[in-house]
Amino acid sequence: MFDWSLIPGLLPLFGEAALRTLALLVCALAGGCTLGFALNALRESGRRPLVAVYWSYVGLMRGLPFLILLFIAYFGLPSVGLQLSPFAAAAGALSVYSGAYFAEIFRACWQTVPKGQVEAARTIGFSPARVFWNIQAPQAMRGSVPLLANQSLLVLKDCALASVITYPELTMTAGKVVSEQFIYLEPYVLLALCYWGMSIALDFLGRWMNQRFSLKGGVR
Amino acid sequence: MNADGLLERLTAYFPVMLQGAGITMLVSSLAIIVGLALGACLLGMSLANRGTGPLTWAVTVYVSFFRGTPLLVQLLMAFYLPSAFGWDMPPLLVAILVMGLNSAAFQCQILRAGLAAIPAGQIAAAYSFGMPQRKVFWNIQLPQLARAVWPAVVSEFMDVVKNSAIISVIAVADLARVTRQIFAANYRPLEVFLSAGVMYLLLTGAVFALGSWVGRRLQHRGGRGRRIGLAATGASHV
Repeated sequence: MFDWSLIPGLLPLFGEAALRTLALLVCALAGGCTLGFALNALRESGRRPLVAVYWSYVGLMRGLPFLILLFIAYFGLPSVGLQLSPFAAAAGALSVYSGAYFAEIFRACWQTVPKGQVEAARTIGFSPARVFWNIQAPQAMRGSVPLLANQSLLVLKDCALASVITYPELTMTAGKVVSEQFIYLEPYVLLALCYWGMSIALDFLGRWMNQRFSLKGGVR
Repeated sequence: MNADGLLERLTAYFPVMLQGAGITMLVSSLAIIVGLALGACLLGMSLANRGTGPLTWAVTVYVSFFRGTPLLVQLLMAFYLPSAFGWDMPPLLVAILVMGLNSAAFQCQILRAGLAAIPAGQIAAAYSFGMPQRKVFWNIQLPQLARAVWPAVVSEFMDVVKNSAIISVIAVADLARVTRQIFAANYRPLEVFLSAGVMYLLLTGAVFALGSWVGRRLQHRGGRGRRIGLAATGASHV
């Protein structure tokens, strides 16, 4: 059954692969959050064509499997002259994909700020940009942490699909060990434990940040 | 993307992709049903003994595992580990089982949230009227639970359809896999994958449209039921 003596030999390989998964996660989260924030700002502008851009983008990404988007980025883009490395294709596709979900999270948070505040600020002469940055953003972002943490977990899991386009992260490393050393149980169990551990760590990080940033008893 | 003969090629892809889409929908529908049934069982287990004891703990670990590991990893484990011990399972069965087990973890949480949304006072009131537990569940909790969780279940169904693209990795001939086979044969990635994308959009769009339609009917029936309920108890306001 489970052969513990194999684990020390696998750990350095998996450690390195976990770092690659984390690098991909960090790039994807940075890209996805930025894109999501920008999309939400477009929607908040209230201009009809920009709002339409928001909804069509979100609708498109929520209806499309990430795997297909990844294939378009990695296999499809070279035929229009854009050859991406597996890492760049995965990070780009993940950013584009999760951007829609992050945008929806920011939208939900922005909606928690009472409309009366926005109207009041506009009435006393705040510009729309200042309302966005100084009135809405600080309040909306405080409640966003649990949602952002949950979405980051989904992005972490989607990182596993980068193995399909040969980015040597955790899942691909496990597959390589299986096909080279003909052991099945140990690499797959270790693989699942790696992701599970990373997810639990992300959950804890989210909870800690939420406690750190949420208002304690004060204004709601 | 080469425009010459594009239309002919697209019409050639269509029947093959439609067949793949059939497998995608078959697996997704069965997975969502397995997931709903198992999710309800999990919630029942988790709420047993007033939410204390080993069963609750086991459900927490189950949900944490399926929520915390990628579907791809779950599929690879379920596909390769049994065959390493000499048990061969058909890929289609593995796909339905794993997607069902995975969805159960999420649907358990959806049902939990739905149940928590029903005011506790209603249940207490029903018991104090002398309603038996079975009637409280079927006539008070279930209709409201169904209405409360329906949008989330439809959204979960859409996610299952999208995530089912991953089963192509374990050799199930779903839409994603036939798409990759077409691509491997003609090496026209952009048009092939874009067609598959449109196909998936149609599938998830259809699930959404059907789900919203049923959801509206659920709301309607719920409204009538509430009125009948009020008349029967003679309450003037709730």
